Amino acid sequence: MTPTEDFVWKVAGAAGEGIMTTGLLFSKTCARHGWYIFDYTEYPSLIRGGHNTYQVAAGKNPIYSQKEKVDLLIALNQDGIEQHQEEVGENSLLVFDQEHQKIEIEKYNLAAKLIDLPMVRLAKEAGGEELMANNVALGASVYLLGLDLDVLNQVIADVFADKGQKVIAPNQQAARAGYNFVKKQTQPQLSISKQSSNHLTMTGNEAVALGAIAGGLQFYAAYPMTPSSSILHYLAKNAHTAKIVVKHAEDEISVINMAIGASFAGARAMVGTSGGGFCLMVEALGMAGITELPIVIFEGQRPGPALGLPTWTDQGDLKFVISASHGEFPRFVLVPGDAQEAFEMTRKALILAETYQTPVIILSDKYLAESRFTINLATTTFTNGRFGIAATPTADKTGFFPRYKLGDSPVSSRSLPGTAGGVYIANSDDHDEYGLSSEESSMRTNQVDKRNRKLELMRSEIPKQFWEEEPQSVLTFISFGSTKGTIKSAREILTKEGILTNHLNLSWLWPCPKEQIKQVLDNSKNTVVVEGNSEGQLVNLIAQETGIIIKNRLNRYDGRPFYPEEIVDYAKSSV
Amino acid sequence: MIMPKVPFDPTWCPGCGNYAIWASLKKGLVDAGNPAEKTVIFYDVGCSGNMTNFNTYYGFHTLHGRALPTAVGTKLANHGLTVVVVIGDGGCYGEGGTHLINLMRGNHDITVIVHNNHRYSLTTGQTSPTTEKGDKTKSTPEGAIEEPINPIAIALSNHGTFVAREFAPDINRLSSRITQAIKHPGFSLIDTLQPCPVFNPHQSLEWYRERLIKLEDEGHSPDNLNDAWKQAMRIDKLPIGLFYEEVKPAYHEQVTELKDGPLVAKSIETIDLSILLEEFK
Repeated sequence: MTPTEDFVWKVAGAAGEGIMTTGLLFSKTCARHGWYIFDYTEYPSLIRGGHNTYQVAAGKNPIYSQKEKVDLLIALNQDGIEQHQEEVGENSLLVFDQEHQKIEIEKYNLAAKLIDLPMVRLAKEAGGEELMANNVALGASVYLLGLDLDVLNQVIADVFADKGQKVIAPNQQAARAGYNFVKKQTQPQLSISKQSSNHLTMTGNEAVALGAIAGGLQFYAAYPMTPSSSILHYLAKNAHTAKIVVKHAEDEISVINMAIGASFAGARAMVGTSGGGFCLMVEALGMAGITELPIVIFEGQRPGPALGLPTWTDQGDLKFVISASHGEFPRFVLVPGDAQEAFEMTRKALILAETYQTPVIILSDKYLAESRFTINLATTTFTNGRFGIAATPTADKTGFFPRYKLGDSPVSSRSLPGTAGGVYIANSDDHDEYGLSSEESSMRTNQVDKRNRKLELMRSEIPKQFWEEEPQSVLTFISFGSTKGTIKSAREILTKEGILTNHLNLSWLWPCPKEQIKQVLDNSKNTVVVEGNSEGQLVNLIAQETGIIIKNRLNRYDGRPFYPEEIVDYAKSSV
Repeated sequence: MIMPKVPFDPTWCPGCGNYAIWASLKKGLVDAGNPAEKTVIFYDVGCSGNMTNFNTYYGFHTLHGRALPTAVGTKLANHGLTVVVVIGDGGCYGEGGTHLINLMRGNHDITVIVHNNHRYSLTTGQTSPTTEKGDKTKSTPEGAIEEPINPIAIALSNHGTFVAREFAPDINRLSSRITQAIKHPGFSLIDTLQPCPVFNPHQSLEWYRERLIKLEDEGHSPDNLNDAWKQAMRIDKLPIGLFYEEVKPAYHEQVTELKDGPLVAKSIETIDLSILLEEFK
């Protein structure tokens, strides 16, 4: 093994073998050494059986994506070798359990250094069960990579804290057994010094959940659907600490209508789903638009249409979320590129929804939702104002409060049920200033204009999009959302090889930051759009908004995320 | 308390049962005695939903079939509010049937008044989930093939805690049932039979008079689920009254986060994440 500043570790085996927990323990161990991590998981849509992997890329400097080549592979079964033999090279280590797995290792012609570790036997000797073999592998990994066993043991104690010493002790003993076993055989391949840091590690979904809480979330409703369910699980588990109400409703239609009802009453409300569930929510999305009620919708993409590939990633819902619903009303579509952005943008989403009294969609994908990132927060305390709520509304002679008042600002103040003087109707029929149904021609035109004029104000909220440039650049990458990190990784490799590039990653797609896109395109001779769909939905959006059609496209829609290596290959072939 | 003013004139057909339900609702709300601004009415889509514009209460005119979840969301956000749902047989038993079944299980504290005229009348008279088998309608010109839904039996078998059927034209009776339902701490269903002289002339006032009987005249006691079940399944007569009532905790009373007051009363001014961030270190 040669890397000194970063490495890639991976565990692979059958679903149900505790691979996700094993990966998490290892990832935390790295993070507590002050290293940056990026974790990527793959699993099929099955509860048991099928092949699961958990990859941790760790480094002294920030790590932005998963990688193809693995430095240390833990194969918990023969598939763990079979399916990943291309990922290990002559500098890699491969840990397996010959005694338990009876693997025909000769047939693979592997260049990697093989480490036969009797994981199951050592786990049992340490007083544990067969499943604790994973901890033997963890202990061995810690030794081989020059990490501190005490740190791993503390991570085990923290993660299993609610299970008690009966679970913690044998797990730690198994880890120690693995550590000692390889210590007798070989030298550590790396030496990693512990450095202090304030690193937090979390998945994109955990960042969304925490960002929502920071933004004053009060009501969250959802119906389980990969890859959004972990937000529901996290918020339900922490509802008491966060002082929020979480409702798993009977279907996505109920979910969004409940959330809109909560919003009507004055609670900051959010829902979470994937593309299929969002399809069911679309009629109510329009209702939030016409009743001008705040709502935040998390949409974690997976490959569609219909059930598609339930547990894989995709960026095929962009045009859908931008245009979903019949009729016209303004909306924000925010597409975070990493967990840091997911936290900040979800917090901002709740504020934007309340400020502009309109839906905000957070578009994520399985890759961002379930990958684990390193993030840093400058503060742990967040303050929230309230926007556009009339504290002491006054009804006029009609007995109603003019909640949809036509005036200079398209955003009119709203009253909350329970407040005297504020009576109005939130009406999904088009309506007059009081919310009473109106089919009168000029009122319809005026109310449509009122709602749509908000979009011009909303444009002022668009921040500068992520932009990195190099003088003498030969290629400009344009991407959106979670492809950000992969292109960052690729550009690091390209820079080392002397190929200089620019990168524009869009995380606010509606209203569209068209001025900045135009400026980038005007100054770029060679541009490629990298996106996880087949149609080129970002290409089409850019054409619609700027009139410029970008010809070079790199698309992937097999359910897998882009890998830095394929971006590098593309860049090399195109310059 | 002064009865709220009416901003618009009703648009229902002459002889429509909605006039009587509207009058009963207003009387029932006033008699319940809650402050007007703390009452919210959710209107579904249909002839009943046209009532949206006729009441000076906070209101929400929702999507078809969705008045129930929207109402529940408001109740969970501010359980200090009185929440009433005005909905038709199509919205409650058809398009929103899943919501009825599931939200009833939760005993959410809302009062649901179903305007049951056995037709989709706003869309000019198609078959509804309560249409009698064989009835000819615009969408079933050879007669409805399906059997009608029995909402009372569904509610009784599905943890309904206040299950009633009333007849729209009897305003005194219906309004006192509405007041009673509002005071009931849980999910209240009042299946309200109403004539539709335009699209369902067959089930006329006379038709009802021949069939209706009052549960109290049958010696029925609303704490007896087995007797309620027998009354609900009768085919010789059409009983009206309170089939069943049971007092048990409403949904919001069982949510830990709501024990110390309504959700909207909680301040979001300062959020401290430090405890939550521990597990991510």
